[in-house]
Amino acid sequence: MSAHSHLDGKLPHEPERATLEGRNKVLGFWLFLGGETVLFGTLFSAFLALRDQVGDGNPTSQELFKLATVAIATVILLTSSLTSVFAIQAMHRGQVKAMQNWLIVTVVLGLAFLGLEVYEFIEYTHEGHQFSTSAFSSSFYTLVGFHGAHVALGVVWISLLIGQVYRKGLTVVTAPKVYVAGMYWHFIDVVWVFIFTVVYLMGKVG
Amino acid sequence: MSNHTTHSEEPAKRHKHEGPKKHIIAYVFSMLLTLVAFATVIGGEINTSFIYILLIIMAIMQVIIQMGFWMHMKDRGHLFPIVGILTGVFVVFTIVIMAEFWTWW
Repeated sequence: MSAHSHLDGKLPHEPERATLEGRNKVLGFWLFLGGETVLFGTLFSAFLALRDQVGDGNPTSQELFKLATVAIATVILLTSSLTSVFAIQAMHRGQVKAMQNWLIVTVVLGLAFLGLEVYEFIEYTHEGHQFSTSAFSSSFYTLVGFHGAHVALGVVWISLLIGQVYRKGLTVVTAPKVYVAGMYWHFIDVVWVFIFTVVYLMGKVG
Repeated sequence: MSNHTTHSEEPAKRHKHEGPKKHIIAYVFSMLLTLVAFATVIGGEINTSFIYILLIIMAIMQVIIQMGFWMHMKDRGHLFPIVGILTGVFVVFTIVIMAEFWTWW
């Protein structure tokens, strides 16, 4: 692999922090995540305010949600968070090949999660829970769908990074990108923790 | 940080690279928290507000695991990110409480 040419003792210990640009990227990404927190916060508050507004004869959250699917999705996403940590650790050890493989595993798990979510949404639609059915359904699809869109974006992003590292190798330029993508992936996982808690589990309790 | 010996052949043992062990423990913990959360809801006939409080506490513990261990927030030099994220969290709590009260009271 061409990437190995960069590893002849020249790559620093934490390549993502080796340059000022890299450090600034990480800091800037934290600021972006602060903004993302507020974005999801507003969606959560809309959902919490509207989740009991079901309307006549439409399915409620207790009738609708199947915890088995949600549990599997949660396990998949938590595991993908771990594999992305392994990718970053491999990067710190300078093992580009291992990093690439862990990133691929992360992407595959992300795709599995998305597949489950699509399946779940289709099921709900068949049970009369469409986007415009009730205030509950609109706020549900907006919140959970926004999270799903973030997962989809992450999948595309990390896939492109895998390609870029394959072509250009792991350098002080590409390393911050991988690191920042890892942070993004953890953030997506954090948001999901709140979704399965607030939307699904609390929805099931009533 | 920048003491660099030969990095190429031997997989740099003398650097203080953290092993996967800590992260696997964090992963097991977050799995357990998830399991407990689902189990309380599935098997639970305890009263609702108790379950709510339990669920929120477990979610917050999960976030501490994710952000502390996996996003390296517990490492030094992360004061600014912590301040930034806490500001975001504060804004979010304000929005949530405001929306709840404005809509229904």
